Parts: sequence; C-alpha cells; structure tokens
Amino acid sequence: MINLTLYKREFKRSIKILIIFAAIITMYVSIIISMYDPELMKTLDDFVKAMPQLMSAVGMKANTTSLLGFMVSYLYGFILLIFPMIFCILRGNGLIAKYTENGAIVSLIAAPVKRRTVACTQIAVLVSGITILNLYTTILELVCAAVNFPGALDISKLLIINLGLFCLHLFIGSICFIFSCFFSDTKYSIGFGAGIPAFMYILQMLANAGGRAENAKYFTFFTLFNPDNIISSSNNSYINIFILLVSAIALYISSITIFCRKDLYI
Amino acid sequence: MCEIKIEHLTRNYGGGKGVFNLSFDVKHGEVFGFLGPNGAGKTTTIRHLMGFIKAQEGSCTINDLDCWKDSEKIQLKLGYIPGEISYFDDMSGTEFLKFTANYRKIHHNLQKDLLERFEFDPKIKIKKMSKGMKQKLGIVAAFMHNPDIFIFDEPTSGLDPLMQNRFIDLVIEEKKNGKTILMSSHIFEEVEKTCDRIGIIRQGKMAAIDSAAALKERHVRHYNVKLENETLAESFAKDFNGISNGLNVTVSARQSLEEIFMNYYGDDRK
Ligand SMILES: Nc1ncnc2c1ncn2[C@@H]1O[C@H](COP(=O)(O)OP(=O)(O)O)[C@@H](O)[C@H]1O
Ligand SMILES: [Mg+2]
Repeated sequence: MINLTLYKREFKRSIKILIIFAAIITMYVSIIISMYDPELMKTLDDFVKAMPQLMSAVGMKANTTSLLGFMVSYLYGFILLIFPMIFCILRGNGLIAKYTENGAIVSLIAAPVKRRTVACTQIAVLVSGITILNLYTTILELVCAAVNFPGALDISKLLIINLGLFCLHLFIGSICFIFSCFFSDTKYSIGFGAGIPAFMYILQMLANAGGRAENAKYFTFFTLFNPDNIISSSNNSYINIFILLVSAIALYISSITIFCRKDLYI
Repeated sequence: MCEIKIEHLTRNYGGGKGVFNLSFDVKHGEVFGFLGPNGAGKTTTIRHLMGFIKAQEGSCTINDLDCWKDSEKIQLKLGYIPGEISYFDDMSGTEFLKFTANYRKIHHNLQKDLLERFEFDPKIKIKKMSKGMKQKLGIVAAFMHNPDIFIFDEPTSGLDPLMQNRFIDLVIEEKKNGKTILMSSHIFEEVEKTCDRIGIIRQGKMAAIDSAAALKERHVRHYNVKLENETLAESFAKDFNGISNGLNVTVSARQSLEEIFMNYYGDDRK
C-alpha cells in the first residue's frame, strides 16, 4: 500500500514545518489557558444564569465561562484552525504538484512502484502530519489545564472537540491534496488548495459576525465543526464530524484515482 | 520476438504537433536508434513507453505488457534515462542513489562500478550539479539495478566526448549481454556506433526504418583524391580523416541529419 522509503523521505520534510507550528501552538495554548480566570468566569456565569437574554445578546452563553468554553472562544476560532490549515496547504502542494511541476516525480513513477502506492504514501505523510499536530495540541491542552487548573477541564468533551478538529483538518488536507493531484502547475495547485479553504474561512468569519451575513454559514464547511455545539451536546455536531470524515476519505480516494489516470509530461 | 512494440500510436497535441500513427518495434537483444530533430516527437513516444502518458490511439507494449496499465511490472526490468534530469534537487547525488536503491528495492547494486567507470563523485547536491554531472547521475541510476531493457532519451547530452565514448562502450557491452535498448538522439554519429537499426522520425511520423549499416552506406559519400607526393598525401589523410594509399587518399563525408531527412521528405518546411 505504501512505500516506506518514500514515506520516510517525505515525513522528514514535514518535520521542520511541524516543529515551527508546534512551537507557535505551544505558545498560544499555554498563554491563553493561563489567562483563564475562574473567579471572573464564575461571576460572569452567574450573570448569564440570572439574565440569559441580556448576556446572550453580547455573545455570552452559559458554557463559554467554563475552562473549555474559554479555550473554544480563544483557540478554536483562529489559531487551531489556521496553522494546521497552512500545514495542509504547504504539504498538500509539496507532496505531488511540486514534483510534477519540477519533474522530480519521474524518479517515483519510472520505478516498479504503482502510482496508487505513490499517492497512498503521500496521503499517509499528510495524514501523519495532521495527526501529530492534533495529538500534540490535545496533549498540550491537557497538560496546561492540569498544571494551571487541576480538575477544571471537561476532558471527554475536549477529546470530542479535538476529534472534530482532526476531521476538519483531514478534510482541508484532502482539498489541498486533490488539487495537488489534479494540477501539474503549483500555481493552480496552491491557488485552489489555499484559495478554497481561505475563502471558506472568510465566509465563516462573516457568518460569525451575525445579522444577515449569518446565512454565509450554509456555504462554508467550517460550519460542520462547531465546538460550541459539541459542548452543549447537540446531536447534529456528531453527524457533522462524521460528514467531514467521510468527505475527506472520499476526496482522498478521488485524488488517488485522478493521479493514477493522469498524463504526466515528464 | 519483439520486446518493445508500438502500434499505430497517436498523440495529437494540436497544431500538427505530437506523434501520428507511429509503428515500430525493437527486437530482443537489439539496439534501436530513434533519430529525429528537436520537436520530432521522440520524447512523446518514450513517455508512452514509460507509462507517463496514455495513448490516445494505438498501443505500446513491452514484453507483451501494456505500457500504461502494467507500467510497474515493466519498470522492474527497465532502465531509463530521461531527456532532462530533474531529480529531487534537495538531495545530494549520494542520497539520491541510496533513495533510489531503497525505493526500487534493489538487491544487487552495480552503483560502485558505474561511479568508477564515469569518474563520478555524487557527493554534491543535485541542485549544484552541472548538466553533465546530472547526466552521469541519470546513467548510474538507470543502470544500477541491472535491467534487461533500456530506454534512453538523448543520453549523451551534456557529456564531454570522453564520457560520451564511455557511455557508448557501456551500451556496446550491454548489447553483448543481450540487452534490448531503445535510444533517442538527434545526432547521427551517436546512434550509428551502437545501433543495429535506426528509425527516423520527423514531425511525429516515422520517415524510415533501416539497418544502421544501410543508412550509413546510403548517406556517406566517398572521394578519391590524388596528391602531389606521399608526405602531402599522409598529412592530407590525417587532417581530413581519410585513408591514404600512396598518392591516393580516400575521404568520406557524411550528410548531416537534416540532409538525410531531406532525402526522405524533400524540404517541406518552407
Ligand atoms: N505537453 C505538451 N503539450 C503540447 N505540446 C507538446 C507537449 N509536449 C510536447 N509538445 C510538442 O510536441 C512536439 C514533440 O515534442 P517532443 O516529443 O518533446 O520532441 P523531441 O523529444 O523529439 O524533441 C514538440 O513540438 C513539442 O513542442
Ligand atoms: Mg526530447
């Protein structure tokens, strides 16, 4: 299914980016978790319970005042979405399209290795990177929370949220990868692979701004990952995570097919 | 038995470019020269044989295996030198050869012998290699798994004359070992030394296929020159690559590839 030699080479090439992004994530996660103030949040929470309408008008819901809710508001809207997304874009493009464009893919194809194996190996490299980033984030969050506020974190909910985040990134990765297989030109591979997720993210920000723009949420896949709903145990949120996972798998399989059928002018 | 077989292959890029209804074969143990000017369609044909692109019409087989569908089975016993060497340029030559050996799962590696033969030290980064060095790297990578079939796309480009000769020697050796070789070139001299048969392609169509000897005979002119004295005759022979016999010297002139093409086509480029 995969070629170990190629896997090792490509994985090594992921490591540098992974270390940089892990460092950025470490900085943000540790600082933000340490900024959580249970006393202040408790006061706010009491306000919310006393007058829910008033507080929800200013964007406060009962559960945002928990440690997990606090983390969701400050980490899951930007940092933990964007950096793994950039990882997907860089590696997604670098694993296929870059080699097709500069011709280096010739040494992978002119060998007794199936194209399918090449594609599967590169997917494995991408998915490994995404897994490592998400796993690292989860462990970091658990450690920071345990050190600063022992017992305050709803661990099982956090795990579900991070599972959702993982599926979201698998899906973003699959978008980047399919364009990397489709185009032989990195200009287009990056253009679509970065452009579509970025555009979707902007729609998501618009939708969050509320008002009439809220309808934008129907046009962006980021809606499918909603940590607030996971905290409030809304049923839909589990289905949405599942949709992300299935879509990602479908896109990865399509990428393999595209790559196997593709004419390579090398 | 035909090892490499191309039947009615067509790949139309539009604008009269590509290859059109191309058919030829290379027999077991034969060295076939695939000769044509730049843009004739040599690389395009080779891409089909390598399974890089799919035939629009017609078919390519190697050992009765379909070049598109069964590419990875064919590649097991095939050595290929691309027209343009563009390997992972973040690697050094040494790293690349090691990678290739592991990637292909080569057990018996001829790399050391090949590096010595071409006096090539692959330690430096591929990015920093000259064209000739990259070409040597390509040659080592193509030969090191001891394939039965070779496909070379203009293999000596970038090599100095000494190394070109080493390559030709290597090809002749492999021919003696019974290997089947397809070699593209736009230089007649390069293929005539090694090839049994030569196919001439122009504007995507095969103009002629003939034995190398016959082609050579047809396109070489001999002149007999008589000189005043023997010393003069000898130096004339030396200067013009002729054979002296007393006062007589025989010199030969070969038509250029373009002239040969014109012979087959007439000059229809105007
Ligand atoms: N991918 C492509 N798309 C369009 N035209 C191409 C493509 N590849 C090659 N060509 C054109 O087809 C012709 C044959 O090219 P090629 O097979 O590379 O010639 P050769 O190797 O004999 O020099 C050339 O005119 C070239 O410009
Ligand atoms: Mg060419």
